[in-house]
Amino acid sequence: MQYVTLKKERFDDFISRLAQDKKVVAPVAQDNNAYAFEPVTSGRQIAKDYIPTILPPKKYFMPQYETLATFNIGNGQQMEPVVEYERMILFGVRTCDLAGIQCLNMVFSERPKDHNYLVRKSKIIIIGYECNDYCDEYASCRLVHNHTPNGGYDLFFTDLGDKFIVHINTQAGDEIIEKTKLFEEANEKDLKALEALREKKRKIFANEVPVVHENIPQVFEKSYNSNIWEDLGKKCLSCGNCTNVCPTCYCFDVIDEPNLDLKTGKRYRRWDSCQSETFAKVAGGESFREERAARQRHRYYRKFKYPVDKFARLFCTGCGRCSRTCMAKINLKETVTALVAEQGLTDKKAGKE
Amino acid sequence: MTLKRVILKDSEYEIKRARILRTKQMTETEKYFEIQLPGGESLDHEPGQFVEVSLLGIGEAPISISSSPTKRGSFELVVRDVGKFTGQGGRLTGALHKLEAGDEVGIRGPFGKGFPVRILEGNDLLFVAAGLGVVPLRSLINYVIDNRRDFGKVTILLGCRTPQNMLFADEVNEWNKRLDVNLNCTVDKADPEWKGNVGLITSLIPGVTLEPERTFGVVVGPPIMYKFVIKELLKKQIPERQILLSLERHMKCGLGKCGHCQINDVYCCQDGPVFSYDKTKNFPEAV
Amino acid sequence: MAKPKVAFFDFACCEGCQLQVANMGEMLLDVLGAIDVVEFREVMSEIGPDKIDVAIVEGSITDHHAVERIKKIRERASILIAYGACACIGGVNGMKNNFKLDDIRKEVYGKDYKYFDSVETRAVHQVVKVDYKVNGCPVYIPEFVKVLKAALAGLPYEVPDYSVCVECKLNENVCMYDRGLTCLGPVTKAGCNSWCINNNNICYGCRGMVSNPNENGAKDVIAKYNIPMDLVVNKMNMYNKCREIDQREQPKKKH
Ligand SMILES: Cc1cc2nc3c(=O)[nH]c(=O)nc-3n(C[C@H](O)[C@H](O)[C@H](O)COP(=O)(O)OP(=O)(O)OC[C@H]3O[C@@H](n4cnc5c(N)ncnc54)[C@H](O)[C@@H]3O)c2cc1C
Ligand code: SF4
Ligand code: FES
Repeated sequence: MQYVTLKKERFDDFISRLAQDKKVVAPVAQDNNAYAFEPVTSGRQIAKDYIPTILPPKKYFMPQYETLATFNIGNGQQMEPVVEYERMILFGVRTCDLAGIQCLNMVFSERPKDHNYLVRKSKIIIIGYECNDYCDEYASCRLVHNHTPNGGYDLFFTDLGDKFIVHINTQAGDEIIEKTKLFEEANEKDLKALEALREKKRKIFANEVPVVHENIPQVFEKSYNSNIWEDLGKKCLSCGNCTNVCPTCYCFDVIDEPNLDLKTGKRYRRWDSCQSETFAKVAGGESFREERAARQRHRYYRKFKYPVDKFARLFCTGCGRCSRTCMAKINLKETVTALVAEQGLTDKKAGKE
Repeated sequence: MTLKRVILKDSEYEIKRARILRTKQMTETEKYFEIQLPGGESLDHEPGQFVEVSLLGIGEAPISISSSPTKRGSFELVVRDVGKFTGQGGRLTGALHKLEAGDEVGIRGPFGKGFPVRILEGNDLLFVAAGLGVVPLRSLINYVIDNRRDFGKVTILLGCRTPQNMLFADEVNEWNKRLDVNLNCTVDKADPEWKGNVGLITSLIPGVTLEPERTFGVVVGPPIMYKFVIKELLKKQIPERQILLSLERHMKCGLGKCGHCQINDVYCCQDGPVFSYDKTKNFPEAV
Repeated sequence: MAKPKVAFFDFACCEGCQLQVANMGEMLLDVLGAIDVVEFREVMSEIGPDKIDVAIVEGSITDHHAVERIKKIRERASILIAYGACACIGGVNGMKNNFKLDDIRKEVYGKDYKYFDSVETRAVHQVVKVDYKVNGCPVYIPEFVKVLKAALAGLPYEVPDYSVCVECKLNENVCMYDRGLTCLGPVTKAGCNSWCINNNNICYGCRGMVSNPNENGAKDVIAKYNIPMDLVVNKMNMYNKCREIDQREQPKKKH
C-alpha cells in the first residue's frame, strides 16, 4: 500500500518517536512571520502555517561552512580529506524545496562527483509537506510546476483536515511508518479526498507569470541584452541575500584556516555569491562581471537558461525567497513578467484555467 | 545524533604531496619550478591543462603546466608573484616564491581541456603568446617539436614588456635556431642590445605568410589581448573554429562546481581553459 | 624560535577594543602561547623594547602629539595592525570633522581653547602605513585572531569586501528591514559574523563601507522603507566620516 493516514492528535507522538533515535529538523517560527529549519523533539515546536524558511534545507546538504580537509604541515603537505555528516530526518519540506534538493542532487552527482555532498545526502531522510494554498504573493511555484509534488521525498504529508494522508515513496519511508506504529491504511475516502484537494489546488494555483511554460527558455534566449538588467543593476545592493536564500544556488569559496600553531588547521568551503563584486575578480583587479546588471543577469540565467541546456530543468523552484528577502525589492515574478512582455510572449489566456 | 567527521577516501579535494626538484628566479616576478609527484608518478597531462597548487594553511591556485607531456618523471610550472606584480593580493603566489628545491607543494589535477592535439596533427600552427601566455603555450610548442614530423609549418610569435621579461629566453633561442620553426619576438620597450621588433604583438601578424584553411592559430595572453589578436587572425582568413584561445578566470574548485570560473554557461575549469573562437564568440562574457 | 614581540598602543578611543583582548577568555591562553606581549598599558606597566615585531594600535589620531607618537611606533614595529574602528576608519572620533576645528576646541576646552592642540581626526592609515586592519567597534575577537595569525605567518589578510548581509544570512537571522528597522548591514564590510544582528541589534556600520557601495540603490531602499534620509546619514557619519579624507587624498581608483 502506497498511502497511509495519521490522525492529527497523533502528530506530536509521531515527531517525538522519530526524535527518539534520530535528529529531526523542521520549520520553527521566528519573529516577523519568518521560519527556519531547526532541531525539534516534539510536534508542538513545529510551525503550523509556515512560508518558506529563511534558508532552504540546502543548509543540511551543503552547510554554510563545511570542512573539506584537515591538515598538518609539521612534516610536509599532509592533508586528510574529510566529510562531516549527521543522520537526520528533515520534516516539512515544501514541494518547492523538494525540487531544490533535486536540482542540487543533479549538480553534485555530475562528474567529477562531489562526495561530500553525496555522503551527507545519503544520511538524510526527507519528509515532504504539501501546500494546500499559496504561502504568500512572492511564490511562483505554478510557473515552474512545483506546486504539486514531483518526487524527491521518502514520505509526503498532505493535510486533509482531521488527518494527514501520507505517501510512502521509499523503503526508508516505509520503515518509519512501521517503526512508529501510528499510521493506518488509507481508505477509498481518503484517496478521494486527496484527489479532490489536488483538483481544488489546480484552481488556486494559477500561473503567476503570463507565459506558456514551454516558452520560458525562449524568453531568456532573447533577453540577454535587455535593458531590464540595467534596471535591476541600478537597484541591487549586491548584498547576496538572494543567492544565499536560493535553494539552488550552490557557489562556494574555498578557504584555509590554520590554527594558532600555524601548523594544523582545516580547509573549508563557504557559500559564496555571484552577486558579490569580488566573485569573478582575478589577481590584478580584473573582474569578469564588473557591472551589477551583468551579475543580476547571471543570477537569472543560472535559474532559467543555463541549467535548462545542461540538465533539461529549470533551477527556479518558485519558492519566492529571493523576492521576499530583497530589500531593494527586486522581484522575480515582476522581472520575468517584464522580460516575457518585452519579447511579446505574454500568454493572453494566462490565469484563466 | 552528533556531527560525525570521517576520512573521505575518494575526495576530489585530496592533494598529492609533490616535491620541488629545482627552482629558478626567471624575472623579478616570475619563478620557475620543476616538480615531482610521489614516486615519480606521471602527471599524465595534455598540453594546455593546469594543476591546482596548494600550500596548506595558505590556499590553492590554478597554475598552467608549462612542460610538455613528452617530458617524463617531473613537470614544470612558472608562477608570477601577483602581489609583487600588481601591488595587491598574491597570498599563494607570494608564498610559492619563498619555496626552494626540496620543499613540498600540494598538487591536484591535471584539470580542464587542453589543446586538441589530435586535431592539430597534420596542420600548420601559428602560436601567439604575450606575457605569461608563453608558459602554457610552451607545453604545446615543446610537444609539437618533440613530434615535429606530425605537424605542418610552425610559426611562433612572442610578445613581452621588455627583453628582461622574456621567459625561457634560452629555450626561445633554441626554437629560433631550428630550421623547422619560424619565430618572431616583439617587446613593448627595447634596450640597446635588443635586435628584434618593438611594438604590440598584433603588429607581427600581418607579416606572417600562411595557408588559412590548414592553419590553427593558438593564442594565449592577458585578457585584453584576445580581442585584437583574434581580429588580426580573422583578417588572415583563419576559420573561426581554427582559432584556439586559453582563457583565465577566477577559480577555486577546478571541478565545475564552485561557479567562480563560469563564462555564460560553460565552466572555464572543466570545459576550458582552451576554447575555439567559434564557441567563445557565442559567449558574450568570454573576451 | 623566539615568540614574536607584540605591543599594544592606544590613541583617541575608549580602549574598549583592548578590553576585548583582556576579556577574550579561553582563546586568550592560545594567543598568549603564540606571542610575547611586551607592552600593554591596559594590563601591565612595562614599556617595551626599541624594536618590536607587531604593534597593535587602537584609536584615531587627533592631535599633533599623536601624529609624532604614531610615527615613532611605526619606526619601532615591523608590522603595524590598526585595531578597532577608531584606528581603521576614524570611528566616532571622526564626527569632530563635521565641525570647524576652532568651534570644536571652543566647545570642548572653553575660552582657553587656544592652548589645546587638535587636528582633523584621522584613521591610522591616513598618517602612517598600516599592514593589517581589524575593523569593528569593538573588534570581533575571532577576526582579530585571524588577523594575528596572518600577521605571524606573514600572509596578507583581506577584509571581506562584501556586505554584512552575507554573514547575517548564513546565520539565518530575521532581516532587520523586515522588522521595520534601518540597518547598515547592506553597505558595511563583513568579517564580524553579523555579531550585532545575531544579538538583536542593527548594524551601525562600524566596520566601514564596502569599497563600491551602490549609493543610489541604497537611497532608493531607504526611501522605500520610509526612513528619513538624515537619520541614515547621521548613522553613517557616526563611524565613517573619515572616509572623506580617503576620497580626498587618494588618487581616483578605477572602480
Ligand atoms: C587556467 C589558469 C592558468 C593559470 N596559469 C598560471 C601560470 O601558469 N602562472 C601563474 O603565475 N599564474 C597562472 N594563473 C593565474 C593564477 O592562478 C593567479 O595568479 C593566482 O590564483 C593568484 O593567487 P594568489 O593566492 O597569489 O592571489 P590572491 O590575489 O590572494 O587570490 C586569492 C585567490 O583568488 C583566486 N584567483 C585570484 N586570481 C586568479 C586568477 N588570475 N586566476 C584564477 N584564480 C584566481 C585564486 O583562488 C586565489 O588563490 C592561471 C590562472 C588560470 C585560471
Ligand atoms: S537580495 Fe536584492 S539587493 Fe541583495 S544581491 Fe540580491 S537582488 Fe541585489
Ligand atoms: S573553478 Fe570552481 S567551477 Fe571552475
